[in-house]
Amino acid sequence: MLISYNWLKSYIPQIPPAEELAELITFHLCEIEGVEKLPSGDSIFDMKILPDRAHDLLSHQGIAREISSLLGIEFQLPVYKQPLNFLKTNLKINIEDSNTRRYMGRIVRGVKVGPSPAWMVTYLESVGQRSINNIVDATNIVLLDCGQPIHAFDLAKLDKEGIVVRNAKDGDSIELVGREKQTVKLKNTDMVITDGVNNLAIAGVKGGLSSGVTEGTQDILIEVANFDAVTVRKTARRLSLQTDASKRYENDLSPTLCDFAMKEITSLVFEMCEGASFEEVVDVYKNVPEVRKVIFSNDYISKMLGVIVPEKEIEKILKNYNYEYTKNRNTWEITVPPMRIDIQGAHDMIEEIGRVYGYDKVIPQIPKINKIYSDNPTWLKICEAKNRLVQDGYREVMTSVFADRGDLEIMASASDKSFLRTNIKDGLSKSYELNRLNAPLLNVNEVKIFEVGACFTKDGSAATKGFGEIKEVVNVCFADKKGITEMSLDKFVGDIILSESILEESSRQLINPNSFKMWSSYPFITRDIAVWVPEGTMPEVLIDIYKDFGTELLVGEPKLFDSFTKSGKTSFAYRLVFQAMDRTLTDEEINKIMSEITKKIVSMGFEVR
Amino acid sequence: MQDEQKGKLHPLTLIMNEAVSIFKDLGFTVEVGPELEDEWHNFDALNVPKDHPARDMQDTFFLKDKEGFVLRTHTSNIQIRYMEELVKSGDKPPFAIVVPGKVFRNESTDATHEMQFHQIECLMIGEDISVANLKGVLFEFFKRFFEGEEVEIRLRPSFFPFVEPGFEIDLRRGEKWIELLGAGMVHPNVLSNCGIDGAQYQGFAFGMGLDRLMMMKLGITDTRYSYQGDLRLNQF
Repeated sequence: MLISYNWLKSYIPQIPPAEELAELITFHLCEIEGVEKLPSGDSIFDMKILPDRAHDLLSHQGIAREISSLLGIEFQLPVYKQPLNFLKTNLKINIEDSNTRRYMGRIVRGVKVGPSPAWMVTYLESVGQRSINNIVDATNIVLLDCGQPIHAFDLAKLDKEGIVVRNAKDGDSIELVGREKQTVKLKNTDMVITDGVNNLAIAGVKGGLSSGVTEGTQDILIEVANFDAVTVRKTARRLSLQTDASKRYENDLSPTLCDFAMKEITSLVFEMCEGASFEEVVDVYKNVPEVRKVIFSNDYISKMLGVIVPEKEIEKILKNYNYEYTKNRNTWEITVPPMRIDIQGAHDMIEEIGRVYGYDKVIPQIPKINKIYSDNPTWLKICEAKNRLVQDGYREVMTSVFADRGDLEIMASASDKSFLRTNIKDGLSKSYELNRLNAPLLNVNEVKIFEVGACFTKDGSAATKGFGEIKEVVNVCFADKKGITEMSLDKFVGDIILSESILEESSRQLINPNSFKMWSSYPFITRDIAVWVPEGTMPEVLIDIYKDFGTELLVGEPKLFDSFTKSGKTSFAYRLVFQAMDRTLTDEEINKIMSEITKKIVSMGFEVR
Repeated sequence: MQDEQKGKLHPLTLIMNEAVSIFKDLGFTVEVGPELEDEWHNFDALNVPKDHPARDMQDTFFLKDKEGFVLRTHTSNIQIRYMEELVKSGDKPPFAIVVPGKVFRNESTDATHEMQFHQIECLMIGEDISVANLKGVLFEFFKRFFEGEEVEIRLRPSFFPFVEPGFEIDLRRGEKWIELLGAGMVHPNVLSNCGIDGAQYQGFAFGMGLDRLMMMKLGITDTRYSYQGDLRLNQF
């Protein structure tokens, strides 16, 4: 979520400088994916709020409270100016579904829709939102400020002054607000806000176009509600409508948040619309969540973290985070603040205390495990198969598990290959062809390759459900000039007893770090050269010439592919491979190199055949 | 000439074997298991409930026409399978396993992302296995894996549903810190889902990308080379 430094500062006057703050958050709260400095001087943090804290940290107030607790500095809640009196209301709210936990509504009459005050536009734009009009902006400000989605309806567009929240009827449709016109079809698992006749909004997701606030709007109905997380999530996902509102609801919000949000939105509208009259809130709040208590001990925290956290540190943290607590010897009983839905049990207090205390204070310690089990037999067999093939001169490759045909298909793949391979053979034969063509580059006499990996088939005959029908088998497949062979790992390894634990050890070798050399993606050229030398001449004499005169275009070691001796002379035939990293070589270039090589060979008294 | 007679392992296998043997030295036993997995072992038992935003943290390959099955998104399915078996056989902690294996994510590919890649994961459960032990094991691992280099690790708070607390762990080689792996203390729900008493036993789990370790150690610049069946990669 984008968080404005200046916005935070309005709550925490003693906030540390932006750079210091970023460091503090990174090591004690969450990852910061980016910091942008705006021309206005504000700094915008992109904070990665994960699902465990999305209940309370997808908002500026949430982050500000967290920082103030983390540092033990003051959090200053602004005064929300309220109208002196609220008029009696005739608003009727009817909740007909079980997934609406709370619904607050307030009618405000005589609002003036127009441009927003400058501060509001600045706040919205600083976090990448655009200003629409003062009423819509106010609802967005409250969302970004306290994390509670809010919606405003144009009262005149409602059939009557009443709201009914219920499940949609299958086949209902609704046209949505937004820059692009969009009408979606609803199902009876979606919750809708209606006026009893028309669908006004998809609950927790998005408002409808017909009841939206526009320039001509005079009277509004403000909705501050709390909906079930799973229901909102399912609807938003099915309709591909992930909105700022649905994102917050699907992470579960505390219904207590509604009180703050209603106060804040009322004050914003009150300050912007002089002369508007505010009616009383209608609040349908059925299942007030129970107050949660958590019990944990100092010893538990220390045992989990592996460091003794002093009792006074724990107490300081509890105090700063506004937990009500009682202490009984070394055990704490705490009351969890309603927003902290993530604190479910003692285990959640390890992080709450550990991250504030500082994980850097935990000293690394190597544990002792005295019980030794034996390695998984499949692992031992895989190691054995690989070792055997390597001993026989085969080189290991890995190919893709994804294929263009197979028994089992995957959904919505980002690739065009949407089946799982039923064999390794198909992939390995392509690999063999690639490597056969590249053989001169590989410094091998013969291309011999293998792969060990899982293959997936469906057993059509099996009537059993689940794994009975799906077969995953580890296969071994190897290819050389004689052909390609594939069999199951079990069959390949056979019935031998594998000696424990030395298998991967035997394939362990010293690897030279950072020794990878990228290959060229341009074609290579090979040249064969056979030379007569006096019998007894060492071939290194020729290799040195090839290397000296082959220039940087010569790839790898010159390869001896033929030699014989006749009447006191030996013939050495070498294959030279040339390739450039940055271009396709021409014959002329290589001819020049070869003629330099020939010249040198002749000058030494040898004879090129 | 020796190269001619003996073949070569894929660099990922070399890195995997090296990592496995370090962890074995530290007391871990090797476990492996299926790549095609049911949702119970890949998600539910790991405290990742259906219809919860935590499921979106990984892009999952679901099977068509076969509801309830996925290509495993992590090697953590083996945590569950191992603990279920352990309990079924009448055994109990302590234990420590290391799990190398292929995993899958449904995301578009680039130099650092492939739809298939390899992870190595460790799980250690006992009566008093702590965050300090997690740090100890990881620090020792990196010290040995990047032998001769000065290394340092640090923990940052993070969230994975199967652990509490959860960490991102950064590694420093030379001057630079790199975000390298996810870790945490095994969530009591995960233990109890397998029939292990979370009040009596505790421990850590972590998992990291082997492809990434390979690239870091050998200087390979593109993770996609690994799965193209190209022997030019087998330089080691």
